[in-house]
Amino acid sequence: QSTITWRMQTYAGPALAEHVIDPAIKMFNQIAGDRMQIELFYADQLVPTGELFRAMQKGTIDAVQSDDDSMASPTEVTVFGGYFPFASRYSLDVPVLFNQWGLNEIWDEEYSKVGVKHISAGAWDPCHFATKDPINSLEDMKGKRIFTFPTAGRFLSQFGVVPVSLPWEDIEVAVQTGELDGIAWSGITEDYTVGWADVTNYFLTNNISGAWAGHFFANMDRWNELPEDLQTLFKVCCDQSHYYRQWWYWGGEANLRVNGTKMQLTTIPDEEWATVEQAAVKFWDEVAAESETKAKVVDIFKRYNAEMLKAGRPYRYG
Amino acid sequence: MSQEFIAIFMFASMMLMLFTGQRVFGAIGAVAAIAALALWGTGGQDIPFSAAMKLMKWYPLLTLPMFIFMGYVLSESRLADDLYRMFHVWMGPVNGGLAIGTIGLMVLVSAMNGLSVAGMAIGATIALPELLRRGYDKTMVTGVIQAGSSLGILVPPSVVLVLYAMIARQPVGQLWLAGIVPGLLMASLFILYIWIRCRLQPHLGPAMEDAHKVPRAEKLRLLGAGALPLIIFASMMLPFVNGWTSLVESSAIGALAALVASILKRRMTWKIFEDCTKQTLAISCMFMWIILAALGFGAVFDGLGAVKAIENLFTDQLGLSPWLILILMQLSFIVMGTFLDDTAMLVIVAPLYVPLVGALGFDLIWYGVLYTITTQIAYMTPPFGYNLFLMRAMAPPEISLKDIYRSIVPFVGVMLLALAIIMIFPEIALWLPGYVYGN
Amino acid sequence: MKLMAAYVRIVDAINYRIGRVMMWGLFVMMAVLLWSSISKTFFLPSLWTLEMAQFAMVTYYIMGGPYSIQLGSNVRMDLFYHNWSPRRKAWFDAFTVLLLILYLGVLFYGGLGSTAYSLGYWGDEPVTYFAGLLTGNEEVGRLERSSTAWRPYIWPVKAMMVFGFFLMLLQAISEFFKDIARINGQEIGAGRA
Ligand SMILES: NC(=[NH2+])NCCC[C@H](N)C(=O)O
Ligand code: NA
Ligand code: NA
Repeated sequence: QSTITWRMQTYAGPALAEHVIDPAIKMFNQIAGDRMQIELFYADQLVPTGELFRAMQKGTIDAVQSDDDSMASPTEVTVFGGYFPFASRYSLDVPVLFNQWGLNEIWDEEYSKVGVKHISAGAWDPCHFATKDPINSLEDMKGKRIFTFPTAGRFLSQFGVVPVSLPWEDIEVAVQTGELDGIAWSGITEDYTVGWADVTNYFLTNNISGAWAGHFFANMDRWNELPEDLQTLFKVCCDQSHYYRQWWYWGGEANLRVNGTKMQLTTIPDEEWATVEQAAVKFWDEVAAESETKAKVVDIFKRYNAEMLKAGRPYRYG
Repeated sequence: MSQEFIAIFMFASMMLMLFTGQRVFGAIGAVAAIAALALWGTGGQDIPFSAAMKLMKWYPLLTLPMFIFMGYVLSESRLADDLYRMFHVWMGPVNGGLAIGTIGLMVLVSAMNGLSVAGMAIGATIALPELLRRGYDKTMVTGVIQAGSSLGILVPPSVVLVLYAMIARQPVGQLWLAGIVPGLLMASLFILYIWIRCRLQPHLGPAMEDAHKVPRAEKLRLLGAGALPLIIFASMMLPFVNGWTSLVESSAIGALAALVASILKRRMTWKIFEDCTKQTLAISCMFMWIILAALGFGAVFDGLGAVKAIENLFTDQLGLSPWLILILMQLSFIVMGTFLDDTAMLVIVAPLYVPLVGALGFDLIWYGVLYTITTQIAYMTPPFGYNLFLMRAMAPPEISLKDIYRSIVPFVGVMLLALAIIMIFPEIALWLPGYVYGN
Repeated sequence: MKLMAAYVRIVDAINYRIGRVMMWGLFVMMAVLLWSSISKTFFLPSLWTLEMAQFAMVTYYIMGGPYSIQLGSNVRMDLFYHNWSPRRKAWFDAFTVLLLILYLGVLFYGGLGSTAYSLGYWGDEPVTYFAGLLTGNEEVGRLERSSTAWRPYIWPVKAMMVFGFFLMLLQAISEFFKDIARINGQEIGAGRA
């Protein structure tokens, strides 16, 4: 029997992938041995990220790690992938929302419609600004050209931010060549890991989302062709990767804020930041008005956050 | 099929296709398409097109038409004529002085365009006839022009360094600055060579008697010609290095500055303008289509596992020291460069080499300079060399192909020497970017 | 042979005109980039400049491609080629240009699929889809948008690329006919440039 081989492309570049995906794939290949091998490719390596969804749908690429937003998947849930403003506060919120509050089912349904298998969702880091010049007030955000997620960009543009989308691997250089003034794409762990901390000077401690939501997907036919035990193994390795990120980011964020030397921290006072939080509430309603599915997801976010607030500390502080 | 076999198969068929004389992009694209259809599996037929989407997102490519246009404006409108007279008058009285002056001219021309074609054209149209008339040795002359014009891609702006920057993901600003001192070093070595050679054999480059007769005031006035390239250079580089404009915006400013200068100097006619625009399209298309095909080739090559095979070969199987690997890579570039297209080579081979160079602990800015010099050598070495072809097309009939081939030998020697010096002393390249960007 | 000559004349003329228009695209790119730096310095930077310049660049080189073939600017490795007789060149070209046509065909077909996708078609038969669009059996679905904050629809640029590849195919076929003619000792569609 010949070895099954898959090509998988992640939206992360090699430096980041070393943490967020390499270990899981190595593990999979080691356990699956001669039965199946996954070849991992990094951001834009085989196909540009913008074409990633279509490539997976057609089977040019067999599996993908990405958020819905970056790869522009043609579903109703795309806006919620990546950083949907203020939807979650902690990285544990994401798996709870998916496993206990019904998002898994919605995602599964949406992706089945477009011929793609949604395997599982995981949480990553919070979304902060890393910039060349300091941001101490909302005024300072005006006119800054920032690399960010499409939906986050749509949201932030009301504060004068100019969102820019470029291939992930080009970001560091784009900051250096003046195409960008900063980045709102990750927490501080990633800023240090991928080198962005070397080209920016300031880190804004306010975030617009507490955790990124991203997924593993596969081409539906390829997935169905797998024997059940390999499907299970794949899921287990995905979960392992989700677990790794839970502690890697959580510990990393705190450590680098306190001990990092490459970026200076700045903060916008809570009263002022409240404007942004209020704007998010309006943004949610706008999105909910766009379709039934979106309304369903927004409703879950609302009920979930209300419940967390009721639960009190340590779930929410005030 | 094993990955090693695929690697060899794809490369060999590309070479074979190139030897048939089909257009470079067609040769590369066809191999990519066939391999994608035959070997990829489901959905392989989409890879060549997705390369087009990848190319669209490569925003630094926008600089390409700008720098090409800049070069054409410069050579077609004869903006460099005054510069040439300046060097002519000031350097003429020395043995080999006109040749030395031509190198100086090439340095200034390099600062105003991103390729070496403009330098070649200027050298061949204004310097070459004059040098021959003054009794300079023909192999000396063609060698000087080919070697000198190759500085065009080392002194900023440089298209080759922009392309390298995209592949290696390094900042263009630092790469450009890194090219300046090595460029000047190489120019000095050329000059040194010419000077020594002409001292030993004055008949190769006889001194010019009548240059003394030019009045002092006129001589000083001519010095002013040198200001133009500096202004154009500064209009582009200052906003860029200071971060006021981005790279692509600066390239547009540079192109505009050259155009405005040629209009102000009353050198621009509608005919010339149209011609520059047309040539820019032609050359830009040549580059873009090669890059398009090479990106497709690269993705197929990579997706079929051939990249892994080559990586294994270098890292695991050979077990060599970092320096030896580096030298081997340079040698392979020089060998490939003698019969492969440089842009295709960059897009296909550099993605294999560059991460390895980084992993071995070498500086990728420095390596960019080494790469560029290697490319320059490739332009000049037979059988396949763009600058050779250009020279052959532009040289007057009394210069034979053999003369052209012979003429580059000492200059390639000088370039190899420069390459070695910069390899041994990386500081030559790294000092300036470190100083300006402060790290 | 007459038919071939007519084809060459028509295709070359069309591509010549399109190329002559495209060459001015350089200044479109230049204007967009200059506007980008001006707006950034004096007002708020615009959302659309970089992407717009990229669209312009793609249009420029793909639609300008056929004209660049007419101008003979697509370099060849002419180590041997250079020394061959015109007839021999034509013989080789007539074969290898078929491979070029294959490549362009793959580009074209991939582009067709991608354009169909950008119009909301997720199946594997773009040709059927486009035929269906004409007959009314298929309809436009979810339109793909660029994943940027500006979010332009992506189908116009993809459609333009497909059209450009098509023109390029026509031009390559024209070159093939010229080679056939040359093998027969004739010259059709004398170069314009
Ligand atoms: N890939 C190519 N076709 N490169 C041609 C460029 C070579 C030429 N001598 C220049 O630098 O201007
Ligand atoms: Na230059
Ligand atoms: Na060569």
